[in-house]
Amino acid sequence: MAILEVRNLKKSFDSVEVIHDISFSMEEGETLTIIGSSGSGKTTLLRCLNFLESPDSGMIKVKGEELLCNETLSGMSEKILRRKRLHFGLVFQSFNLFPQYTALENIMLAPTLLAKSDSSFDASGIEDNAKQLLDQMGLSDRMDNYPHELSGGQQQRVAIARAMALRPDILCFDEPTSALDPELTGEVLRVIKDLAGKHMTMIIVTHEMAFARDVSDRVIFMDNGIIAEEGSPAEVIDNPQNERTIQFLSNYKKNI
Amino acid sequence: MFQIVTLTLLEGFRHTLRLFFLTLLFSLPLGLLISFGSMSKLKALKGPVRLIIWVVRGTPLMLQLLVIYYGPGILLHNNIWGSGDNGRFIAALVAFVINYSCYFSEIYRGGIQSIPIGQYEAGEVLGMTKRQIFFKVILLQVIKRIVPPISNEIITLVKDTSLARVIAVYEIIWEGQSYIKSAGIIWPLFYTGVFYLLFSGLLTLLFRRIERKLSYFR
Repeated sequence: MAILEVRNLKKSFDSVEVIHDISFSMEEGETLTIIGSSGSGKTTLLRCLNFLESPDSGMIKVKGEELLCNETLSGMSEKILRRKRLHFGLVFQSFNLFPQYTALENIMLAPTLLAKSDSSFDASGIEDNAKQLLDQMGLSDRMDNYPHELSGGQQQRVAIARAMALRPDILCFDEPTSALDPELTGEVLRVIKDLAGKHMTMIIVTHEMAFARDVSDRVIFMDNGIIAEEGSPAEVIDNPQNERTIQFLSNYKKNI
Repeated sequence: MFQIVTLTLLEGFRHTLRLFFLTLLFSLPLGLLISFGSMSKLKALKGPVRLIIWVVRGTPLMLQLLVIYYGPGILLHNNIWGSGDNGRFIAALVAFVINYSCYFSEIYRGGIQSIPIGQYEAGEVLGMTKRQIFFKVILLQVIKRIVPPISNEIITLVKDTSLARVIAVYEIIWEGQSYIKSAGIIWPLFYTGVFYLLFSGLLTLLFRRIERKLSYFR
């Protein structure tokens, strides 16, 4: 059974249709990369999955549970909305760490608050889990540092650990290295690749084509709000069939 | 003589401080309410609130003091402030609270709106409630940003309280000036300046301390 199923998702801003009828599904443990030019709707798609934007119509199903079916978020109670969005984690382009908390506190904040309001959420292992995540990110020695004391790459790795602390079913990355210089990009990509090796289910929006080819099980090329091409990296990146995909990738050919 | 003047000025300064602290007590929270009003999505609320802020910030505090004190008696034939020192003090307090609430509200609004939207979104995708996001993530960042402008405004308030003398609230300058008429001496007036300097110096130290306390993050 697919862990995620998206059917006929649509989203407009004012009268501009940003996502025009998107359907796809993914399997547990799969790494899915979404590529495409700016404004093609990649980020909006991720934001719809994470309920930061309300889709106009369409269906989102995770592990067989319908999270959304042709309804807008405004009709949903805040409590239900919060429970449903926890199926997804999101790593932002600009990290968005909380500046007044240390790396460790950033990771522990949401689980601690959740444990207070939801007794089914186990509170005892939060700190150990957070430390373990930092260790996995190679940042054990940085747990007491504040975000402004960390490099961009380190901040992004803390943000990844923070998103994983709530154990989402699907972890989403919105251009996780676009705000980083090439030197720092490498350390973040290595961490993501490591997660792919551990079969974390991930959706990654990226412009790093070499990385996408290396890490993905499947690649989606988006153009003007639709999925123009979809397949294995060998198919979509190395041997694209769609005219727009060929045109888009020609900008990268020199670099790959 | 020095001792008598000191005691008189201290009595005046007591009124100054009372006006100062009571104004802060009411206007700091009221300002937050007004700032929420001025950021409201409801146009029926936002419009009037912004109009009030414009009028209050666009006219002199001196004028507001006079209108608030004399207005009800002359326009409505009902002196709601009552007679005597206490009535005049309350009228002055009301004018100061309205005036400073509006200024504080704009500082709050600036602080709240300067927090990047990503901070709210990060909280949302981590399943936090709106309340938790405001109190655990946003608030301290806002406080850090507004400490300098708020402290500026508060130090201005120390000196603005002297305007209350226009409706005969016997604050410290009123007392100091009385010696010009009664004794023909001006040094008590200079002496009042010392009170202001000492008090605003104390506040400056206090705010610097708060700023330093909040300097552990950026």
